[in-house]
Amino acid sequence: MMFLCTWSARRPGSTSSANIMTMRVTLLIANREYLENVKTKGFWLGVLLVPLIFFGIFYLSSRLATATPTRYFVLVDKSEQYASAVDAAIQREHQRHVMQDFMAYLQENRQQTAGTTLPQTSNSRLNELIDDFGNDEVSALDGWVEGGGLDMALQMARPYLREDAPPFEEPRPQFIQAEIPSGIDTSASPDQIVEQMRPYLADERRLNVDGERVPLFALILIPEDVNEDIVRPDSLQTLMTDNNAPRGVQYWTANLTDTRLSNAIQTSLNDAIRQQEYASRGINIQQVRSVQRTRMPVSQLDPNKAEGEEAVSFADTFRQWAPMGFVYLIFISLMQSVQYLLSNTIEEKSNRIIEVLLASVTPSELMMGKLLGIGATGITTIVAWIASFFVFLQVYQSVETAMLVDILDVLLSSELLPYFVFYYLCCYALYAGIFLAIGSLCNTLKEAQSLIMPLMLVLVVPVLTMSFVAQDPNGTMARIMSWIPLFTPFTMMNRAAAQPPMVDIVGTTIVLLICIVAVLWLSGRIFRQGILRTGQPPRIVELWRMIRRRGQQ
Amino acid sequence: MSESVLKLHDVCKRYGDFTAVDNISLSIPKGSVYGFLGPNGAGKTTTIRMILDIIRPDTGQIEVLGSPSAMNVRHRIGYLPEEKGLYKKMKVWAIIAYFGTLQGLSRKQARSKAFELLERYGLSDFANSAIESLSKGMGQKVQVLASIVHEPELVILDEPFSGLDPVNQEVLEQLIRDLSDNGQTVIFSTHVMQHAERLCERLLLITKGRKVFDGTVADAHAIIPRRIVLETCESVDSLQGIDGVLSINRLPPDPTGRPAGSCQWELYVREQADPQEILQHCFSNGVTLSRFDFTQASLHDVFMHLVGTEAREHKFR
Repeated sequence: MMFLCTWSARRPGSTSSANIMTMRVTLLIANREYLENVKTKGFWLGVLLVPLIFFGIFYLSSRLATATPTRYFVLVDKSEQYASAVDAAIQREHQRHVMQDFMAYLQENRQQTAGTTLPQTSNSRLNELIDDFGNDEVSALDGWVEGGGLDMALQMARPYLREDAPPFEEPRPQFIQAEIPSGIDTSASPDQIVEQMRPYLADERRLNVDGERVPLFALILIPEDVNEDIVRPDSLQTLMTDNNAPRGVQYWTANLTDTRLSNAIQTSLNDAIRQQEYASRGINIQQVRSVQRTRMPVSQLDPNKAEGEEAVSFADTFRQWAPMGFVYLIFISLMQSVQYLLSNTIEEKSNRIIEVLLASVTPSELMMGKLLGIGATGITTIVAWIASFFVFLQVYQSVETAMLVDILDVLLSSELLPYFVFYYLCCYALYAGIFLAIGSLCNTLKEAQSLIMPLMLVLVVPVLTMSFVAQDPNGTMARIMSWIPLFTPFTMMNRAAAQPPMVDIVGTTIVLLICIVAVLWLSGRIFRQGILRTGQPPRIVELWRMIRRRGQQ
Repeated sequence: MSESVLKLHDVCKRYGDFTAVDNISLSIPKGSVYGFLGPNGAGKTTTIRMILDIIRPDTGQIEVLGSPSAMNVRHRIGYLPEEKGLYKKMKVWAIIAYFGTLQGLSRKQARSKAFELLERYGLSDFANSAIESLSKGMGQKVQVLASIVHEPELVILDEPFSGLDPVNQEVLEQLIRDLSDNGQTVIFSTHVMQHAERLCERLLLITKGRKVFDGTVADAHAIIPRRIVLETCESVDSLQGIDGVLSINRLPPDPTGRPAGSCQWELYVREQADPQEILQHCFSNGVTLSRFDFTQASLHDVFMHLVGTEAREHKFR
């Protein structure tokens, strides 16, 4: 008997026809893998759910600002001095709201002019207001209130509005002072009043406002002797030594997150007592006012930009933060791919499809086919997300989306996109190989879960450190992480907007590429032997043997 | 012997201390139906996996369709593994066509071939069903079709009959005959002798990794001498002189009632011996027979004869 070759020389040379064959088979496997993934409900759920959640949050947050219910509070002013200050605070808070809405209205309905800034008007007061609004809200609000509020602003803005602009709708007040409920003895001591009001604060009883029963948001209780608690620089000592008894104005509420009312009242009360203070010290209040409104502008400039264009715009700030979004995108997409890499490989293993496959294709073809097919699935998801983003912008246009359009411009025009594409692919190649090898060793997803745990922990690191890296993109931590291949795609993407040193870009890329080749080679070896294994996943020692064993099962 | 499609030469495979396949050599002629027989754990599947180059032997050489590795000629081989499984979500026709394309058919060819096979073997109603909706036996038939869709020269079926009902076993036997009529070589493994007896031209019998028989079905039958059971009251000594009679033994008395004085005798005769001649001899010598049983040893008997004790020991080990 004559044999052409022996076993040591197997899989003879790669002729070009063999290469074409390999490629054909790899593509066939990739194609099946892709179609099977894309056909599942889970895939479309992922594709649709992420934009839905994103836009849902976006929509809700822009709606919720105006959708907070009207809050009712009760004021018990036993000192009979500060009712007007509280009232002023409420007024001011409302006017601030009106002003914000008006500015948004103005931006939305101004006559179309080039650029995204507000139109230059010939009216200096309106200009001043717009300028203040952009830089110093407190001064803007002062100007707004002193100038006559909404009526004045509407009148001034009218010539600059589009002809078809809808009338401005004044927002409803967010805080309304309700009557003290009948049956509350306001002549009692503060402690007793609070005791009486407790059922209302706990929402066990409700207030009656114009026949409607509404919950009590806050109780503002000003004791008779409140002025004794005023803190002055020389009275700090007593503040330090005092016990925990409530001091000054008491603000009772069960809602600790909405601090607008308490902030407004605090500001307003301070304003009131300072005025008293100025008066008692004989200082001219008008002069103080005008001094307080004096300010020095601070312009943010970026040394990396062309001369004359150094001013930092919103888009520039965003560009600094955009890489974080890309890091997230890489992470989420990778997580999705991991799912497919593991479950598809394990399906083939546990259903014993693998053996028929291996009679028709080589393990390397199978692995490459899977990598490509699942990679294409991931890319499809990302493209679908981006497409839905565009569709959303087309359908839903408003002031808020004007910002999104800016964001999109930044993303598409910047140098970040090539970085993203490159690091996305590298990240996928690096991790997909590892996960595929793990999948090939396991018979059930449960087994795989325990094996991928350490890798998952590693993957969380770049996401956790993402904001630190963004704040100090060329700092020591960022640089060290960049040189660890498992983190390189994430961290370098994170740093992409901060012009990292050339040595970092080129060096880490070389290390990363070498690492990818090594990982794919090792994964291929493990995959080839793991895929036909039955029983428990191997221990580390066995794994090492699998890698080292040459041409043996 | 005509051209060989498969040659094994001193092939060994060990897993640690356990020798799965021990020095097996064989040669399978083109166009034959070849049976791999042996008890569970004999090494049939390991041998088949080595033939397909899914695992590699520790020593020895294998030549498949003139190539040292089945991988190089994989499009000319069809394989049904012992453990059957298919993608659960795929449609029946699509999975047959998919394996066809992996084996080098064009999409169009693979599709039309898939429908043709489903039609021929009575599965056309299920062409558009998902695999997961089929019964196990049905899935197995689909997988057999998937392994032969590309009309391979060499078809290797590992335990193709296990899990099939008698009707489908019949269909599968017909399929194997069709392949053979078409000039394709079929190797299949089984531990059910009847299939081998009906289908195979040649057999390989292995146990504990060692080859115990390799040859035609007729050769196998010849291994066990034919057996004749006589019942008579007379002496049977005269039969000793007949050519072809190897031995005569008296069987132990049967406890159930039998005519007084009658005995049962067991005669072993050579393959070529003619039972008619023995019967004739009895008549002419006045040996009155109350029973004359002549049984052709079945493949099952051969199997039990060759591996029975070992297989039982193996089972209770």
